[in-house]
Amino acid sequence: MPTEVNLVGFDIGTTTTSAIVASAQLAHNSVTGRTEITSVNERYRSEMIFTPRRDDGLDVDALGSYLDDCLAAGRVGPEEIFGGGALLTGLAAQGAAAQAVVRLVKSRLRDALVATADDPCLESWLAFMGSSAALSRAHPNSPLVNLDIGGGTTNLALGVAGQVLRTGCLFVGARHVQVEPGSYRIAKLSRYARALFEHLGIPRRIGHALTAGEVDAVLDFYMNLLEAELEGAAQPTDDPLIQQHRQVAFQLPGDVSDPIVTVSGGVGELVYAHLRGQPWPAVTRYGDLGIDLARRLVASPKWAGHFRKFVPASAGRATVYGLLRYNTEVSGSTLFLPRAESLPLADVPVLGTIAPESPAAHVDYLLGFARRSPRGGAFRIELRGRDGDLIRDLGRRMAGCLAAQAFPAEHPLVLLVSENLGKVLGNYVTDWGAAALNLVVIDEIDVPNAEYVQIGRLRNQVVPVAFYGLREESPAV
Amino acid sequence: MKNLTPLAEIPVPRPQPERVYATRLFDREFSFHGLKRLLGAADYGKAGDRNANLAATSETQREAARQILSGLTLEHLYDHPLSDDEGRVDAVMRVNYDLDLDALASVAKMTLGQFKDHLLRSPALEVKRLGPALSGVMAAAVAKLCDVHELILVAGKITRTSHARTLLGSPGTLSSRLQPNHPTDDLRGITLLCYAGLSLGAGDALIGVNPAVDSVENVSAILRHLDLLRRQTGVPTQICVLAHVKTQLACLARGAPVEILFQSLAGTEKTNLEEFDISVDLLDEGYRTMAERGPLAGVARQFMYFETGQGSEFTYNKHNGIDMTTAEALCYGLARRYDPFMVNNVTGFIGPETHLDSFEMVLANLQDHFMGKLLGLPMGMAPCYTLHSNISLEGQQIATGLLAAAGANYYMDVCLNTDRMLAYFDTSGHDVQTLRETYGRLPAPEFLEWALSRQIFARDADGQVVRGPSWGDPRMFCRCEAEFQELRSATPALPGFETAGPRPADQLQREMRMNQAIGREAIHAELRAGQLEQIAPLRIVETEACSRQVHLNSPDLGARLSPASRDRLSPERNQVQILISDGLSAEAVHHNLPDLLPVLLDGLKGRQLSVGQPLLARYGRAKLAEAVADRLAADVVIHLIGERPGGDALSSRSLSAYLVYRLWDPQVQSAAARFSGHPAIRFEYTVISNIYSAGLPPLEAGSVIVERVCEILSRQAAGNRLEALARPSH
Repeated sequence: MPTEVNLVGFDIGTTTTSAIVASAQLAHNSVTGRTEITSVNERYRSEMIFTPRRDDGLDVDALGSYLDDCLAAGRVGPEEIFGGGALLTGLAAQGAAAQAVVRLVKSRLRDALVATADDPCLESWLAFMGSSAALSRAHPNSPLVNLDIGGGTTNLALGVAGQVLRTGCLFVGARHVQVEPGSYRIAKLSRYARALFEHLGIPRRIGHALTAGEVDAVLDFYMNLLEAELEGAAQPTDDPLIQQHRQVAFQLPGDVSDPIVTVSGGVGELVYAHLRGQPWPAVTRYGDLGIDLARRLVASPKWAGHFRKFVPASAGRATVYGLLRYNTEVSGSTLFLPRAESLPLADVPVLGTIAPESPAAHVDYLLGFARRSPRGGAFRIELRGRDGDLIRDLGRRMAGCLAAQAFPAEHPLVLLVSENLGKVLGNYVTDWGAAALNLVVIDEIDVPNAEYVQIGRLRNQVVPVAFYGLREESPAV
Repeated sequence: MKNLTPLAEIPVPRPQPERVYATRLFDREFSFHGLKRLLGAADYGKAGDRNANLAATSETQREAARQILSGLTLEHLYDHPLSDDEGRVDAVMRVNYDLDLDALASVAKMTLGQFKDHLLRSPALEVKRLGPALSGVMAAAVAKLCDVHELILVAGKITRTSHARTLLGSPGTLSSRLQPNHPTDDLRGITLLCYAGLSLGAGDALIGVNPAVDSVENVSAILRHLDLLRRQTGVPTQICVLAHVKTQLACLARGAPVEILFQSLAGTEKTNLEEFDISVDLLDEGYRTMAERGPLAGVARQFMYFETGQGSEFTYNKHNGIDMTTAEALCYGLARRYDPFMVNNVTGFIGPETHLDSFEMVLANLQDHFMGKLLGLPMGMAPCYTLHSNISLEGQQIATGLLAAAGANYYMDVCLNTDRMLAYFDTSGHDVQTLRETYGRLPAPEFLEWALSRQIFARDADGQVVRGPSWGDPRMFCRCEAEFQELRSATPALPGFETAGPRPADQLQREMRMNQAIGREAIHAELRAGQLEQIAPLRIVETEACSRQVHLNSPDLGARLSPASRDRLSPERNQVQILISDGLSAEAVHHNLPDLLPVLLDGLKGRQLSVGQPLLARYGRAKLAEAVADRLAADVVIHLIGERPGGDALSSRSLSAYLVYRLWDPQVQSAAARFSGHPAIRFEYTVISNIYSAGLPPLEAGSVIVERVCEILSRQAAGNRLEALARPSH
């Protein structure tokens, strides 16, 4: 029988903040053989509010109250949360108060939930999953790029058949140039906008009004940058302005051309609302260039047809929905967990990859990292395509290394496996229970290239797992 | 509501000593000891009757039996009720005597041969009038005298309608029961299979799910979901979850929409009581409850639904010496008591031990349909098969064609013929539409109007009903493509929805047929002991099944050690004994053992358990583990055995591990007896199934088995008792 669980998502962005609280079911999928989160039923969806600010930074107290109000409205206590996450995105993640907000969320929601800031690849992944994953699955043979355009950043993600393959992030957004609503009189400029103005020769400061030509020049730069990223067109990598606007470079693989393009985020929502027949909002109604950027996207000869033909499930709240629905993975049901009371495990660093071919010295070296790490350590175990003898040998080799270095019995050690092999690996590593280890082997999860993993409490034979600190490049092992 | 005659008030003649029925034909003497043997010998030869030693041994013996039977009067059959093994008239037989005695009097003096001729000569109304005059035994006796044309012709005269939200069985209609079964009752999969069926114009008789888990919570959840789908789509039909009648009544008491009450029936009281856990009193209670408190009370004319099929009494060895056809007719006599909305016949479901091949299945289906209609039931038919029988899709299709000619009220819609939960093959919505077009039939009128409005059907220029533009497109019920994809991601064995006319497109047919071919191949593959012995040293033992054919046709033989093997084994008193056998898929053993066995042996050794040298048995069945456990005095036997292949090629390599716990300790046995309610219980079973590359991988399975065996030994319990002890919240 499916089990009901609670999920939450908080997206604290440059411009806006939103939250969703939902109930869902943990159910076995007989096609995949895995336990999945299904039947997500939104219990509370907050109004999208302007991200509270104080003294040019985030208002931590106001965000705390907002978080409490959302949980109360969703009728869920911190102990009852199974998964989801909280993410500070865009420029909000870069201010001095960002880490204070992260600490606040962790203290409110306990260790089971990922709370992180300035994690652009995670944000791109979440936005893709929250907006266009279903669309991508429906067109499994066509690559799809989602542009999640918010106030401060554009998070790019390439996916095929619902799986994200590449991510990137540009400092392209609606709110680098803030204006007085109803006019183009400048109210505030981000450092990226100031550099851009200088590059374009726009001699405007706060209080000055931008001309139509100057607005167009800014938008041209943004559109060119976006198009170039998607076309893989050679951009001068030594151009300091381009470098400054590129937080994480996005590169289409050589065999991908002409992908389907979707947009999400606040600007994406404006695009699809207009295409559904809604009139454009009044000029600079939101005090930024978001509406103008949306108009340019709709007029784009390259992408306008895509926007009309391929409409994602959710545009405006892609990130928060992605957090709620996709940030938490569910382990396999035959995970190795002899000490269920050791959960949850928070902020466990992912220290490297071990494979059956890894020599004992290398395995010993990596396990030594975990022994020295105050929060223990996690390792990706690469078993794909390996036969049973190799896998059993690996387990025995790891058991030998752990015994040799007298790995502390209470120190958390987490092994992450994509295949359904958690129990067998755990049993060989612990020599069938003879070795006293605080070992957890999580199986049947897609292990991304991430810096940290978070593991929640056991529920219905499975545990929730979330990663953060996503990286594009392979880690040095 | 129909008045139910109290059992005690149904007059039944006293059983008489068995008499010998004899005749002399062409200088040969034929004699049959008792009416049961005569009835058995008069039937077409079928595997179940052969295995029960009831079938004729030659065609001449069969014709001799028929000749005797043809000369017996209906009155003779009335005067000689068939008794059970204790010589009593059981409750099922008694209900069969709840007859219209006036109508019976009008034909009682006719011999069965004359009566058959009367049915052939008479108009439909007369045939229909005589139904309530006949007991199941009488109907079965006539059926045994009929050839195929006669079975079709007489049944075709009889219209038996029933009415809930839709009217079933009226002339010119052919309905269907949509069966969106899912192996884990995933509501997404159930939804998609419902959408697929409805888009094919199927489901006008019923949307009915066989649940994987027969619990009040689960069955209520499925009922509520089906009710939601019914309301959302607006389809005029009724819903049902085919759980045990007790479960459904509990669901109804909690407010779940039990619109139609279902139960499987058998033709002997012993089978019903001991295997199906039902009695006439319980069915009476269910009927009255539905009449008073069912959601369709006052709306539906009928609200009971029964499933039957030849052979269940034989399979449980509780047939009282009655042949399969007669026992099936007795089911109908019991079903008739409740004026059911539907009776569904699933002859062919059990396997080759009851119906060996297509011919036996086709004939049995025609007999069943004839008997049911004659006795007054609204018969739906589900000619079906499993891969370990010699019944083919073509045989099934021949049956459906003949049954459509005979006027069957409805067929099943099992998507692409493959039941994803029960691992058998039934008719599909494509079949139903094909038969409608071939025989000029339409769905139930209320459903047809709805389907026309949804463009599933349309009217052509001549006003004829034809397939509409939405026919066969389940997306029509989804809000968006994403929803459709989500539903599809949870639905196994569903390669696509493309069609060619009323049929599935050829590419789909090829894939489904290849899956079946691979499944059959796995069933008929032989164990290769030499290869398996390279994994670990094995001891070879034999069962009483001497060949694959015997193994398939007589399941009980594979559950016993041969005398020679029994003699070779003696008590070893190990905690664990591993037993490997092919079961119904030797391929499953060969594909899984190389990874599984080394882990299993490492794990048992690592946990410091005493383990006997593994045994390998050809032609084994699950219960062979009991014989091994007894002989070796092992605490737990791990029986690794190939599962029965279903409709997915890969799963034909699926292995099960039966962990069989021997209850030798009197205290443990007492606890198990108390828990199970079976005082003589000797073994408890924990089963780990679906061991194959796309299910529980064999490496992991080895480890899971070790953990579970340790749990069994430490808690001294297996099966549900172990679950209750180890995981009380579940």
